[in-house]
Amino acid sequence: MSVLELRGLTVSYGHGAGAHRAVDAVDLTVPAGEIVGLVGESGSGKSTLGKAAVGLVAPSGGEILLDGEDALRRRRRGERRPIQMVFQDPYSSLNPRMTIGEAIGEGMRGAGGRASRRAEVARLLELVRLDPALAGRLPSDLSGGQRQRIAVARALAARPDVIIADEITSALDVSVQGALLNLVRELQRQLGLSLLFISHNLAVVRYVSDAIAVMRDGRIVEQGPTERLLAHPTDPYTRTLLESVPRFAPVTEVPR
Amino acid sequence: MSATNLATPVLTSPSRGRGRGLLRTLLGTPLGIAAVTSVAIVLLLALLAPVIWGDAADAYHTDALRQGPSAEHLAGTDSLGRDILLRVLVATRLSVGLALGATAIAVVLGLLLGTLPAVAGRRVGRLVAAAIDVAVAFPALLLAIFFAVIFGVGEVGTMVALGVAGGPWFARLTLTLSASVAARDFVAAARVNGVSRGRILLRHVLPNIGEPLAINATLGAALNLLAFAGLSFLGIGVQAPSYDWGRLLNEGLNGIYVNPWAAIAPGVAIVLAGLAFNLTGELAAQVIGRRTREKAPREPLPGIAGAAASATAPALPVATHGGGDDGRETLLDVRDLWVRFPSAGRWVAPVRGVDLRLHAGESVGVVGESGSGKSLTALAIAQLLQEPAAVSSQTLRFDGRDLRASSARQTRAALADSLAMIFQDPMSSLNPAMRVGPQLAEVATAHHGASRRSALAQAVEQLAAVRIPDPERRAHQYPHEFSGGMRQRAMIGIGLMGTPRLLIADEPTTALDVTVQRQVLELLSAVRAEADSALLLISHDIAVVAGMCERVVVMYAGVVVEDLPVAELLAGPRHPYTRALLAALPDMETPRERPLATIPGRPPAPAELTGGCPFAARCAFASDRCREQEPPLASLADTGAGHRVACWHPQAGAVGAADVKSEPETETEAQR
Repeated sequence: MSVLELRGLTVSYGHGAGAHRAVDAVDLTVPAGEIVGLVGESGSGKSTLGKAAVGLVAPSGGEILLDGEDALRRRRRGERRPIQMVFQDPYSSLNPRMTIGEAIGEGMRGAGGRASRRAEVARLLELVRLDPALAGRLPSDLSGGQRQRIAVARALAARPDVIIADEITSALDVSVQGALLNLVRELQRQLGLSLLFISHNLAVVRYVSDAIAVMRDGRIVEQGPTERLLAHPTDPYTRTLLESVPRFAPVTEVPR
Repeated sequence: MSATNLATPVLTSPSRGRGRGLLRTLLGTPLGIAAVTSVAIVLLLALLAPVIWGDAADAYHTDALRQGPSAEHLAGTDSLGRDILLRVLVATRLSVGLALGATAIAVVLGLLLGTLPAVAGRRVGRLVAAAIDVAVAFPALLLAIFFAVIFGVGEVGTMVALGVAGGPWFARLTLTLSASVAARDFVAAARVNGVSRGRILLRHVLPNIGEPLAINATLGAALNLLAFAGLSFLGIGVQAPSYDWGRLLNEGLNGIYVNPWAAIAPGVAIVLAGLAFNLTGELAAQVIGRRTREKAPREPLPGIAGAAASATAPALPVATHGGGDDGRETLLDVRDLWVRFPSAGRWVAPVRGVDLRLHAGESVGVVGESGSGKSLTALAIAQLLQEPAAVSSQTLRFDGRDLRASSARQTRAALADSLAMIFQDPMSSLNPAMRVGPQLAEVATAHHGASRRSALAQAVEQLAAVRIPDPERRAHQYPHEFSGGMRQRAMIGIGLMGTPRLLIADEPTTALDVTVQRQVLELLSAVRAEADSALLLISHDIAVVAGMCERVVVMYAGVVVEDLPVAELLAGPRHPYTRALLAALPDMETPRERPLATIPGRPPAPAELTGGCPFAARCAFASDRCREQEPPLASLADTGAGHRVACWHPQAGAVGAADVKSEPETETEAQR
């Protein structure tokens, strides 16, 4: 189990006066074996933060520490990547020309010969509750929910310590979303993963997370244990966000 | 995948299908067969003609110099008495070979240059891209002539010159195509896994740009064929004693008054070969661009004849149709609405016999998962579905008018005023090149004959009505200067410019943030109440619908499975699907310790329907009857007429864990 720490993480786009700080000096810790939910609206910088944590975006300041060590500097070619990511859109995150088995196998490191790789792919497919026979299929043969499980299996192939899940259910229908959330939660416990769960859906974040951080305009405006933060939000933005969650009650008042 | 996004441009869908499928699709049309066959003939001639007729074409016939067509020499002879037709046929190899060679050089050079930015890193990449941009700005033929002088006049020199001149163009194409592939998440996933740049290029980028590149190479070959003929004609290309079509054309032109066929024959050859390559390339591009588009099958449309015959039949008694007969005027009356699409030579029906009634001023929500047919139903009602979709219904009346009886133009004119449609993505439904004010004003000038000035004043008023701050200034801005929420408000404003009796909103807030969603929904219900318009709200979000509507219509696999007042949705719906949907939806009270309720499996595709209840395979209460007989939508003994359910085993009471079937251990079946 590993701790992911972001210290003063800053990501800016552009230069000089036109520079925009998408992530602005963010301190965030994902404790070992826990799920931290990151909520915010579009443009809040939550996805950029996730991309910076896996090295897809270069930070302009701050540190990304995995168990106290710089997580990105120690990367060398062919080495295991301990921080993995699952993306939002399962239709874009799988190469349409690569079989499921090839896609999953790409993340494996030092898995030895072909037979042992195939066995490992089968094990991962079973782990995400899919038929190992799907390894030879192309992504176009699968439904959205099945594809997203493949994306999870691919992330797990690298035997990561930390997974960044970026809006992994927002492209899925409600009836499929539940099964994926259950799976992710179960795997996280079983494998002792630390998980940063990014989503705009507060109900989903609440369900999976041990702690929640609320992000707005590149900054974390409030963070704390899930129950406490939702029951007693201190920041006005958190309160607005909570009030905006659609509920089963007719809209009665009409603001002027 | 929804059937509404049928056409996909070449650049964004380089991924569909594989090469063999492309050839098969090409050969499916007469034009395609003609194109592919003529390319095959040209290539075959290029291979065989010199072997068969090579010597004969070089044979001098001193007794027949510069002769016109005869039985012996079909296209006549040249100044040395050589047979023109044979020479044209033999010249195929050199002409086509050189054009293909030049194209190959251009493609290889283009691939090398175009992929360099992806491999070499950012700084070098930018330099290369800038250099390509500059090179593309020069006319290729001019470059070719320039290079031909450098590489030396002659066939090889000219081929290299044409190839090098075409290189930047292919480099730019490669650059653009690979940039669009590189932006996709699977490339990001490979980068996260530490896959090297070279491998990403080989495994992820190139296979996904191969198809459009091959097509453009075919088109490029046609261009090079013409260019080479031109250069040879000018004396830069092929030199005597070698000959290609351009050179033959040049020689033939000298004696055009003696034997016009000496010039016409090579000219025709150039045109035909160029056409063959061009047509093949264009058709292949079309096939890739619209692979999902299918032609109507020969099989007649089921049920159409019957529906047309019953158009004049008396309306069914109102009582069987629910919706609460409280004396309110019926605004929209849809009965037995079918939407069909051609697929693999058959008709499939994503919407199967939908009944829907709206009273004036009523708000009704339609919920369902993707593929349930909810958006198609809305589009069919608004008469916005086009070929190849086929819409049929027993009744389709709106505001006292039979939408099926009147002509398309009449219908459009009638609907423009009284029906407004709001779409999910306001960026694509607003004109990006037009200021927002005039877009609203357009409605007033087009439909109400208002003058430009008064129309613009109305537009500003309307922007204020949809709570856009500083409407005067905002009216002069373009859509891209608006935020997402503001664009959607402007869209609602456009919808309300007329005096619509019905607003159809298809996922109006799905693209918006929750805080903005709430504002837009509140605005929508406020302006609707002011104008007393009815609302048909299509959404996948049952909570949004419950908050906005009086009545909810639940769709599944193309049919309405339940139609009920919102109060009863909250108290406990009757159809197992509606109940499972509610159980599976996490809200702010869902217990966190327990696993979420899920619905195993997935909805059946329209082609997989077997005749029973479409939800049977996923239902916890399904019996043999469910699997054999599709239940009709009807009110139950203990529900009012306003609550209809299509189920053999309706449930009752509060929604609980018993409403979901347990998940199977692993999913074995693929999608198709």
